[in-house]
Amino acid sequence: MDRRTFFKFGAITLGTVITTFALSSNTALASNKEFKTSKSKETSTICPFCGVGCGLIVSTKEGNIINIEGDNDNPINEGSLCSKGSALFQVAVNERRLKHVLYRAPGAKEWEKKDWLWAIEKIAKNIKETRDKTFETEKDGKIVNRTQGIAQLGGAAHDNEECYLLSKFARALGINWLEHQARLCHSSTVAALAASFGRGAMTNHFNDLMNSDVIMVMGSNIVEMHPMATKWIMKAKEKGAKIISSDPRFTRTSSIADIYTKFRSGTDIAYVGGMINYAISNDRIQHNYLLNCTNASFIVNEGYFFNNGLFAGYNPEKRKYDKKMWVYETDAKNNIKKDTTLQHPRCVFQLLKKHYERYDVDTVCNITGTPVDDYLKVCDLFTSTYPENKSATWCYAMGATQHTVGTQYIRTYAILQLLLGNIGIAGGGINALRGESNVQGSTDMALLFHILPGYLACPEPDDVDLKTYIEKYTPKSADPKSANWWGNYSKYITSLLKAWWGENAQPDTDGGYAFNYLPKKSGVNDFMSLFENIYKGKTEGLLIWGMNPAVGGPNLNKERKALEKLKWMVVAELWETETAEFWKRPDVDPSAIQTEVFLLPACSSVEKEGSIANSGRWTQWRYAAIHPGDEGWHGDARSDLWIVDALFKAVRKEYNNGGKFPDPILKLNWDYNSGDNIDVDIEPDVHAVASEINGYFIENGVRKGQVPGFAKLTDDGTSACGNWVYCGGYVSWGNTEGDKSAPNYVKNYLGEFSNRYARRIAEKDEPKTMALISEGRAPGMNHNWSWCWPVNRRILYNRASVDSNGEPLNKERWVIRWNPNLNEGKGAFEGDVPDGPWAPSEKYPFIMTEEGVGRIFSPKPNEGPFPEHYEPLETPISVNPFSEQMLNPVVILYHKGDELNKELNAIGLSNEFPIVATTFRLTEHWQGGAMTRNLAWQSELMPNLFVEISKELATEKNISNGDKVSVITARGKVSAFALVTNRFEPVIIKDNGVEKKIHQIGLPWHYGYSGIATGDSANLLTPHVGDGNTNIPEYKTFLCNIEKV
Amino acid sequence: MENKTEQIALLLDNTKCIGCRGCQTSCKQWNNLSSEKTEFFGGAGYQNPANLSGSTYTLVKFHEVVEDDKLKDWVFWKTQCQHCINPACASVCLVGAIQKSENGPVVWDDSKCIGCRYCMLSCPYNIPKFEWDSVMPQIRKCFLCFDRIEQGQIPSCAKTCPTEAIMYGTRNELIEIAEDRLSSQPDKYYQHIYGLNEVGGTLILNISSIPLEEMGYPKNLTTEPLASRTATSISSISPVVVGLGAALGLFAIITNRKNEIAKQKAKEVLK
Repeated sequence: MDRRTFFKFGAITLGTVITTFALSSNTALASNKEFKTSKSKETSTICPFCGVGCGLIVSTKEGNIINIEGDNDNPINEGSLCSKGSALFQVAVNERRLKHVLYRAPGAKEWEKKDWLWAIEKIAKNIKETRDKTFETEKDGKIVNRTQGIAQLGGAAHDNEECYLLSKFARALGINWLEHQARLCHSSTVAALAASFGRGAMTNHFNDLMNSDVIMVMGSNIVEMHPMATKWIMKAKEKGAKIISSDPRFTRTSSIADIYTKFRSGTDIAYVGGMINYAISNDRIQHNYLLNCTNASFIVNEGYFFNNGLFAGYNPEKRKYDKKMWVYETDAKNNIKKDTTLQHPRCVFQLLKKHYERYDVDTVCNITGTPVDDYLKVCDLFTSTYPENKSATWCYAMGATQHTVGTQYIRTYAILQLLLGNIGIAGGGINALRGESNVQGSTDMALLFHILPGYLACPEPDDVDLKTYIEKYTPKSADPKSANWWGNYSKYITSLLKAWWGENAQPDTDGGYAFNYLPKKSGVNDFMSLFENIYKGKTEGLLIWGMNPAVGGPNLNKERKALEKLKWMVVAELWETETAEFWKRPDVDPSAIQTEVFLLPACSSVEKEGSIANSGRWTQWRYAAIHPGDEGWHGDARSDLWIVDALFKAVRKEYNNGGKFPDPILKLNWDYNSGDNIDVDIEPDVHAVASEINGYFIENGVRKGQVPGFAKLTDDGTSACGNWVYCGGYVSWGNTEGDKSAPNYVKNYLGEFSNRYARRIAEKDEPKTMALISEGRAPGMNHNWSWCWPVNRRILYNRASVDSNGEPLNKERWVIRWNPNLNEGKGAFEGDVPDGPWAPSEKYPFIMTEEGVGRIFSPKPNEGPFPEHYEPLETPISVNPFSEQMLNPVVILYHKGDELNKELNAIGLSNEFPIVATTFRLTEHWQGGAMTRNLAWQSELMPNLFVEISKELATEKNISNGDKVSVITARGKVSAFALVTNRFEPVIIKDNGVEKKIHQIGLPWHYGYSGIATGDSANLLTPHVGDGNTNIPEYKTFLCNIEKV
Repeated sequence: MENKTEQIALLLDNTKCIGCRGCQTSCKQWNNLSSEKTEFFGGAGYQNPANLSGSTYTLVKFHEVVEDDKLKDWVFWKTQCQHCINPACASVCLVGAIQKSENGPVVWDDSKCIGCRYCMLSCPYNIPKFEWDSVMPQIRKCFLCFDRIEQGQIPSCAKTCPTEAIMYGTRNELIEIAEDRLSSQPDKYYQHIYGLNEVGGTLILNISSIPLEEMGYPKNLTTEPLASRTATSISSISPVVVGLGAALGLFAIITNRKNEIAKQKAKEVLK
């Protein structure tokens, strides 16, 4: 840490004051004591709470953490913190932290203390027993090589290196029931954004919010959930930007908004569909952008139609579409037919226009309950950004993703932003706000059933070998101007297999490069399906890494009950969570629960080293402030990196004596400088993991230098890469050149700079950058602070921000521009790292779609190429004004089966449950709650479950502020304090032409029975139903009733 | 009163406050303050705890602005010691435990405090609090992170604020900024800098979208420094209170004396 720069900002000029500062007479309190942080050691870290990625400085004295406050140098937060970040100290210094391995024998009433070696060996034996018992090598004559008896959850709070090993570990074991928080928070984001633009990530980043003219916050409560984003929103506001907050509830975000509109939860597609209609009918469209950067001019095949809520190709029995009905019309050479006049009745633009003509203002406002005047103000303001020199961004999170049509909510934003020309530009984009510090990284590392690291498809039984797999998943384009970057698929999968099975993966090994060592998935293995499976007794063992599904899962009466059916469960945690102690939860008899439970004490974020990717993909490095044996260390706690390393080595040892299909385990490339045996005093080398994720070259079977970027990866076995999107992040060893601790295999290769995640040069300290910013380059990119995928590109799709000559469309806030003098006179882009190096006229702007453009019409989502409004599973209305189709026609329905199951998956109807309920989060608490409800400071701020209700509903139900009330749904009941507020108002809608008043209430979902601040979990109320693409649960809308206790 | 050296100050702008309460927690973090057992909320909105206390030096409050039965805004503001330029609390303190530092902050010295609570009674803003859970309660309140300021660092709350709703600087600079905001955005601000002249001026300057009085601040405060009325203030305290205060004071003196003797003995043992 550079002391000179440490305290540079945060205050206005103070210089003269400080030096003359003194007390007039006797010195008082402050001067008498030694300054709190004097003589302390400082390490920098990144906040473990939300996905903004704020920096903090940890001060340590004699092995004790004594202070944690904001890192002034970090350009994301510039020293600021919200209440959670400010309380990080209590995560690190807390008597409630786990200090020992705890074991709960089947039927036992209490924990027993155990040591690591005993526990690791016992867990390894359990894994082997279950794996061998349940392993399938073939299914229906096809290779599957998987165990369905073991599942793994968690990882969004872990470092990238830990996530990567968790992913590698699970796949080597043959686990395909592999899921984590991302399924529950942003899985629909990836489905929608990848379907629209080619990548599933937030397009821009937090600092870039300052470049916006209009910031739309719908589906998110950005001020409360990502408080530091507000720093940049406020900077935009100071420059004249306008903020819109659309939310069923007036929130702390609404308090800073210029326009607030309410609406009925679950009607966002109608709301945004109406905005699309408004943009088209008022010609608020960026026409050149539409032609150059989108598929608006593409002609769709004749078979396509849309009628009464259903698209062409629907099969009601299978509840599925035949997507072949939604393809483009092509010529004999396979080129897509286009009509650049946009007049062809089957061109995307005309189909779009026709589809959303039905979303007129009255129909929209009648169903959403938004007052027409308010709604028109929003339409007018947002679409006013269609000129080239204007930008608007859309900020959303769980308010959008967690619906049965979550993917299609986000598709509506994508369509609207493409019409307005707001993708790829500074201050524009679609900002999917991630709520966990590394949920971006954990998703990149593929702790999800359906992908492998770097968004490669998880193979299925039909993918009989590597060749077949590559053929199936590599997109093709006949158009030479389409970069079609996914055309490189073979290099990424081959390099991944080389990283995992090393020299054991040869061209002819098991399906090619050991391809068949990977477990094959059949059907959906997502979070909800997993709990349905556990409930049915089909899962024996569950490994949980820092996740608390007993609070965070939907329909908790069912999911908690399901856990009782596990034979064994392993939880690596900082705290005794609701999940870890489900067997002694209130109102259950532990002796009746036969699950064997291992609770492993893990390290908090300041006690280990590694990288995490924030929501804007900035991947920052964290350092360990204390180490095992230090006075402030928590007993036997070890990092998850250590735990997974130890566990793998123990499993490998078991398989040395034989077992089912041992090759993927025994031949796995797993050596992180911690020796072959398990040693509690040796931490695996996190740098060795980071360098493997980045990738290295292989020559004649020998590891050579680091791969400098993914363009250099190969498919002939001469490169290994754990995750191609991170290739280029860790190009050489150590934090500084020539690090003596580097092992020989990388010491010989030294690039000009090494661990790029650890870079700490903010933009304002770079004169060259500041000069470009003075020439109009958009500020905030901070290219030499950390590193972001892909290739350190800060704004995705930035080729869309320039014209065919490479001139920025907006010269005031440009992202990239073509400079003909660069590259020895051949010309190159300057500014941000361009989305592909080609000259602007050489390639289309969207390099990750095979079409080369952004998709207004997208055949990828399961419920159709255009978003259509469907009602939530539980709806207060009787008629969908847009069609006869009430519910998304492709969602999985779980409410069948035996009687108890039917009851636990019950659906509420509006006659019994007339009130619309939603769940939300609080600034002061975090996710499943363990990380804040165990902190005294945060528990003081938000001690109990409460429910926000309007004054009108309170009067109807005779409820006063502070009363205890029950909230009841078809599935559960919770007790909460009533917070009667003006911030909730009923919405007036029209149902089947009849005016109807709909009350809406909201509850935070953080609470549970463990910790200091306890209360009923709001997820006792939520249903088991998910989105049609990713099965993300519909947490955000359900029906309830409320009663005074 | 004219100050020879420039006063430092905080400008609290509630139009920028987002109610995240980073300041409230960071204050506890820096000052190692404990927490209280709370239930539901201690005030309107999400407020907790109910009051400033020996373990809460700053507290964010919430207020729903309603006009014609319609919600107009939701506002948040930070409460804390206002740091009077001429503090009554310091002038009534019998033992000099509260002092006004030359450049601003009103600081306290718990080695001197006898727990008489005159300061508490004299404060127009009802700020000084005592550690009621302690056997011998002593004064506690915001001291503007005097320790940090001495080291060239800014107060913890000002540093942590994500939106510059808390700004640290010299009082004169901040007054200029406040005046500029009021004049350039007349629709946004209620045209008054609270603390500019109240009780002779305070280091905490508040600007706001609505009058601070609507958010519970004292109304119609004199612009005269209260310290100049100290004599009157003390004489107006009821004899019962004085008696209690004096008794506590005596107790404190005895306890302090005992502590001194104990310390002395400990030193002798070490020899």
